[in-house]
Amino acid sequence: MIEFRDVSVTYPNGTKGLDGVTLTIPDGQFVVVVGLSGAGKSTLVRTINGLVPVTGGELTVNGENLVGASKRRLRGLRSRIGMIFQSFNLVNRVTVLNNVLTGRLHSTGMLRSLLGWFSADDKERAFDALERVGIVEKAYIRASQLSGGQQQRVAIARALAQEPQVVLADEPVASLDPPTANAVMRDLQRINRELGITTVVNLHFLDLARRYGDRIIGMRAGKVVFDGTAAEADDAVFEEIYGRSLTAEDVAEREPGALA
Amino acid sequence: MSAPAPTAAVTSRGRPRKPPPSIGAITALVVFVAVTLWSAIGVEFTLSPLIVNLTRGSDVIEQYLHPNWEILTRPAVREGFLETLYIAILASLVGCLIALVLAMLASKVSAPNTGVYQVMKLILSLVRSLPDVAYGLLFVAFVGSGALPGILALIVFNIGVVAKLTSESIDAVDHGPVEAVEAAGATRFQRGRYAVLPQVAPNYLSYCFYVFELNLRASLVLGFVGAGGIGEVIMLLVSRLEHSSVSAVVIMLFAIVFVLDQASRAVRRRLT
Amino acid sequence: MTTTQTRSAPTGARPKPPSKARSTVALLATAAIVIATVWAVDARWERFPAIFTEAPTYISLMVEGLVQNPLEMPWSEYWTKTSGYMFESLQMAWMGTVIGALLSFPLSFLAASNVAPRWVVLPVRQLLNIIRALPEIVLAIAFMIPIFGLGALAGTMALGIGSVGTLGKLSSEAIEEVDRGPVEALRATGANTLQSLRWAVVPQALPEIVAFWLYRFEINIRASAILGIVGAGGIGSILSQLFNARLWDRIGITLVVIIVVTVIVDQISAAVRRRIIFGSARPSAEMATGPVEVA
Repeated sequence: MIEFRDVSVTYPNGTKGLDGVTLTIPDGQFVVVVGLSGAGKSTLVRTINGLVPVTGGELTVNGENLVGASKRRLRGLRSRIGMIFQSFNLVNRVTVLNNVLTGRLHSTGMLRSLLGWFSADDKERAFDALERVGIVEKAYIRASQLSGGQQQRVAIARALAQEPQVVLADEPVASLDPPTANAVMRDLQRINRELGITTVVNLHFLDLARRYGDRIIGMRAGKVVFDGTAAEADDAVFEEIYGRSLTAEDVAEREPGALA
Repeated sequence: MSAPAPTAAVTSRGRPRKPPPSIGAITALVVFVAVTLWSAIGVEFTLSPLIVNLTRGSDVIEQYLHPNWEILTRPAVREGFLETLYIAILASLVGCLIALVLAMLASKVSAPNTGVYQVMKLILSLVRSLPDVAYGLLFVAFVGSGALPGILALIVFNIGVVAKLTSESIDAVDHGPVEAVEAAGATRFQRGRYAVLPQVAPNYLSYCFYVFELNLRASLVLGFVGAGGIGEVIMLLVSRLEHSSVSAVVIMLFAIVFVLDQASRAVRRRLT
Repeated sequence: MTTTQTRSAPTGARPKPPSKARSTVALLATAAIVIATVWAVDARWERFPAIFTEAPTYISLMVEGLVQNPLEMPWSEYWTKTSGYMFESLQMAWMGTVIGALLSFPLSFLAASNVAPRWVVLPVRQLLNIIRALPEIVLAIAFMIPIFGLGALAGTMALGIGSVGTLGKLSSEAIEEVDRGPVEALRATGANTLQSLRWAVVPQALPEIVAFWLYRFEINIRASAILGIVGAGGIGSILSQLFNARLWDRIGITLVVIIVVTVIVDQISAAVRRRIIFGSARPSAEMATGPVEVA
């Protein structure tokens, strides 16, 4: 369970990322966070694994408080939270398998990491994760040789290799074309259902948000302005969240012919 | 675009005035002229020896243009070349390994904290401010003459060059993978090994080959101060005024550098 | 998009790891070369521990020279004399760079394949490569000292000619990378070759070329110290004399002067270079810290 209690984030340059956010995300939920860029979606997701430090309030993940956690404890916490990024963030020159194995670093000693000697167990986990996203045949190919959709699947496999309790995804499909975006979202949904991993996804596209989210959280200026089910989030709600009328840019798949 | 105005504006009203030359440009010009004059006077710059002394120098130059190839068959020369090669191999290997660690500490991306990063940057710029001969002279004084001071001097020199270039490559790596590995709970060391090193590896390797080549060339100078290698042979020949022999040895050194450079290029293409 | 509904595939679908033979062979070969080298080189390794006893002694002697009151004789004289030699090194480096820049600038256009015809480009590039291969010290011994005699002028000329190779190569590459658009536009207005060079190519490439000049200046400062060893002027001449006489206190002063002056000039030069590159219309990030390829 992830609990935000009046959480605020102020960046060193004075910008407010989050402003008094209170939320509870129960285990196994598929949550989609929507909002314009700069609304604090990214900040919200990044506070959950401590990539962005919280400056006010309390944030606990599975009962562990993040605020003021030592580096070591933070690393331990991160090892149980997988993360997926907009730009995939794979190491390009390295094979797919080794990219996925970086998800096992948290339980690999210094000497083993230096020499790249991952245990057979870790390799098994990595292969298993690659099989789950259906890309195992590319295991020994360099990440840079894959298409965007394939790279994002490798990134998902990297997160799965951590055997996480929570998966965070920061705009995971913003760099992909609509069919690939749907495929990646389906992968995330399937993993959520099959493994019961709590999943928090930032999205910009409202159609994808409605289609895949159990619960939708709308953000504006660092505050939560909507929190409800996908069914409740109609166009009016989105206009409220975005603070403007909807445009063709806000959906991933446009009706053919409409607003090209 | 489709209907260009046929007549230019007739009135000068509204046309901006030509801005005066910027203060920066004027300062730059003044500084340039002043420093150049100061330098020209300081080195007593004149081109007249080119006309007056060309004949006086011509017989020396003449000897350089007619290399004495026979010198290359002497065992001392062969041993000198081999020693140069040994020095370069060991110095670049050890220097590059140490440099990789220091480069990691000298980049904001991979250093444990800003204190370490700033101290490392400072140390590296101090190390690089001394030329290889200065290190040669120092180590000859410390351990006596021969190959050992040559190796040690070049190790220090290589650390300066490779660590600086590599740390700049590290500064420029894609930050995404670093963040991703961090988010997976990796330690700082693991971040360096898995997110930074693979990205800078090709650059790092090419810097290593680059200093290897520099080390072969440096042997020419280091021999002059007693730090081993073919340079010692060259110094002896220079002091005996055997110019045509010097010429042959120098040309041979560059033939070797050229061949090894081509070979290392081929290896690098394979690696990347 | 094709493999969306995969459930765990059978383990047999996993690919075989690629052969590690090549990297193993490369690793073994490197190890063999290193071991053979360590064994073959007559380095008299047993002298290595001497560093730990000798270096501290000599360094403390150097420090003794540094902690003396620099305003008192004879220390004040040592500091001023050493600084004088270092300034001579700077002057040699600057003049050498100016000469190198003047000579390499026209050559760089002749070596750029988008400016000059092939039959000009190839021989000019070859010439630049030959100069690049010759180190300054050889230029000094073989050509400049016979013509100009011992002293700073010979060193200056050696640095100047030596700079032409690298500067010509790097500048011609900068010229080859200019955006072709403006060149075509100028050609379209009826400008001739020289005019389009002046107004379309030079404005684009000049910031980078000037940055190369400054970078070469930094390299020449270090190179000028080397030239002193063979009597071609600068700080190097006094350095080798001091080491021969083992005057450690003055060696300390000399090394500190070299380090301080070099670091200061490097900082200024790097700041100017950054300003030139980022202040220009065509900022290229990789130049901010200087070109990778030097010498």
